[in-house]
Amino acid sequence: MTLLALAADETLLILKIVFLVLLYGFILLVVRSATKDIGGAPQESIILGAGEAAVLREKLGVRPRSRRFRVLGGPGLRSGKTVDIVSATIIGREDDVGIRLDGDEFASGQHARFEPRADGIWVEDLQSTNGTFVNGERVTAQRLQAGDVVRIGQTELRLES
Amino acid sequence: MTARNRELGGVLVAGVIAGTALASVTIARESEISATAVGYGAVFLGLYLAAHIVVRRTAPYADGALLPLTAVLTAFGLALNYRLDPDDGGRQALWVLIGLGVFAATLIALRHDYRVLESYRYLFGVAAVFLLLLPSVPGLGERVNGVKLWVAVGPLQFQPGELAKIFLILFLAGYLREKREVLAQGRLKDFGPLLAIWGAAMLVIVQTNDLGSALLNFGIFLAMLYVATGKALFVAAGLALFVGGAALLYNAIDRVHERVTIWLQPWTDERVICALNGKLEFRQDCASYQLVKSLYSIANGGFGGTGLGEGTFTSTDGTQLIPALGTDFIYSAIAQELGLIGAAALLLCYMVFVARGMRIALRAQDGFSKLLAAGLTFGFALQTFVIVGGVLRIVPLTGITLPFVSYGGTSIVANFLLLAGLLLVSNRANSPR
Repeated sequence: MTLLALAADETLLILKIVFLVLLYGFILLVVRSATKDIGGAPQESIILGAGEAAVLREKLGVRPRSRRFRVLGGPGLRSGKTVDIVSATIIGREDDVGIRLDGDEFASGQHARFEPRADGIWVEDLQSTNGTFVNGERVTAQRLQAGDVVRIGQTELRLES
Repeated sequence: MTARNRELGGVLVAGVIAGTALASVTIARESEISATAVGYGAVFLGLYLAAHIVVRRTAPYADGALLPLTAVLTAFGLALNYRLDPDDGGRQALWVLIGLGVFAATLIALRHDYRVLESYRYLFGVAAVFLLLLPSVPGLGERVNGVKLWVAVGPLQFQPGELAKIFLILFLAGYLREKREVLAQGRLKDFGPLLAIWGAAMLVIVQTNDLGSALLNFGIFLAMLYVATGKALFVAAGLALFVGGAALLYNAIDRVHERVTIWLQPWTDERVICALNGKLEFRQDCASYQLVKSLYSIANGGFGGTGLGEGTFTSTDGTQLIPALGTDFIYSAIAQELGLIGAAALLLCYMVFVARGMRIALRAQDGFSKLLAAGLTFGFALQTFVIVGGVLRIVPLTGITLPFVSYGGTSIVANFLLLAGLLLVSNRANSPR
């Protein structure tokens, strides 16, 4: 009986350690897997839904300033051409995107999205194969300043002031 | 890996955690190693796997972390309640079963579009007020520890306040989505509803003596008002009203006065008049007895805890040291048996749950979903803070339940409804369009 009680004590200690290790392992697992799917541009506001911001703007007649990009080079677009972004626009190699990069082998079908917001224009990488670069650095989402050069595939665009 | 496979992995780990905890308490109770706990663990795992399959079929894109986190929290609750009282543990298991049933039924019923609930917003609002006032109805309400919280229908008892919280969030999500543009302009006449709800919160305090749920519901209201309008000024004004009202009540209602006194000065060096028996007693032996014994319990746990099933909750003659240990004070039982390290893990689980919930609110595309997810998450977070903070003497103690852990049927079922709501919102937000 004493032997059994002793065994129970030791089992309890082992179980306690196992329980705590498992518990912290579980929390680590959940937190790690949770951070994996974070990405993309932050929503414009916690208050409005992403879809609603555009609808509300339309209703109130507020228009974010349209922004102009100049093509610096690339196989898809003619150098020196300008591209105006009035609303959220997807750029990529597919047929039905807003800005079509025909013939740029390094661009994905839906490569990135340009979105004019109240605080400026944003570029958001749409999980493209070769990535979206701003001034040579790979980004997932970033607000652009005038003069920033965005590279998508082999195409380079510069934001005009 | 998809969210559903992550969820499956999490549920499997949660099942092992539950099995370990149940094995500990069973072995500690019987002083020998038995196989019964393994059986309990297997049933627990089976139940959550069934729930997982329902989520897989009805909400395939829903967040994958919430169900496993819920499983771990209920595992804490089952193990601790079984340890404190095997009969309560059995009843708690039954309530988890019922809760999972309600959870599955909600997911199945609302799998196409939960946003139909928005059109019933006023119904939910009326139902919430009705439920809050139900315990005050003569002949229905039961007074437990001086608080009218319970409704007894024959042998059945339930706490309508817990369900009222969910209904209130549904009402506010629909109402504020409709009115938020008007409210954001800040004209005084649009604030009738705000003042009405503030008045109702105070009325509920007076009527039922239930400080906890008044604080909770008013907090949820302010948080959702902020999410709807984005005006911090409203929150400041609301808090000022609440503090002002609370200061009035502090002088007007003895119970509020007493709670604050216990919070600030649980120990006295001299004997003071004890309201319970009218004699002169030290306060730690009278009004703040429960809180003080709970603080000793937490201190006894130290860093590593006494071990599951090995804590001290009864005096040498077998009487229970802390009244309401399984409900309001379950946190101090956890802190004693698992120590700081275990209690911190429990709080981390709540934090991750809340972080996921807020993320769901951020991702939701329409205002109703956003407000619903934010309200449900904030309610969950505030409830946890109010009760854990109360037990730890950070805020005055008010008796509400620790979500998914405290003993109590209505609370478990209401929190499973909350979980179903968050999964439905995240399913919609994440599904490809």
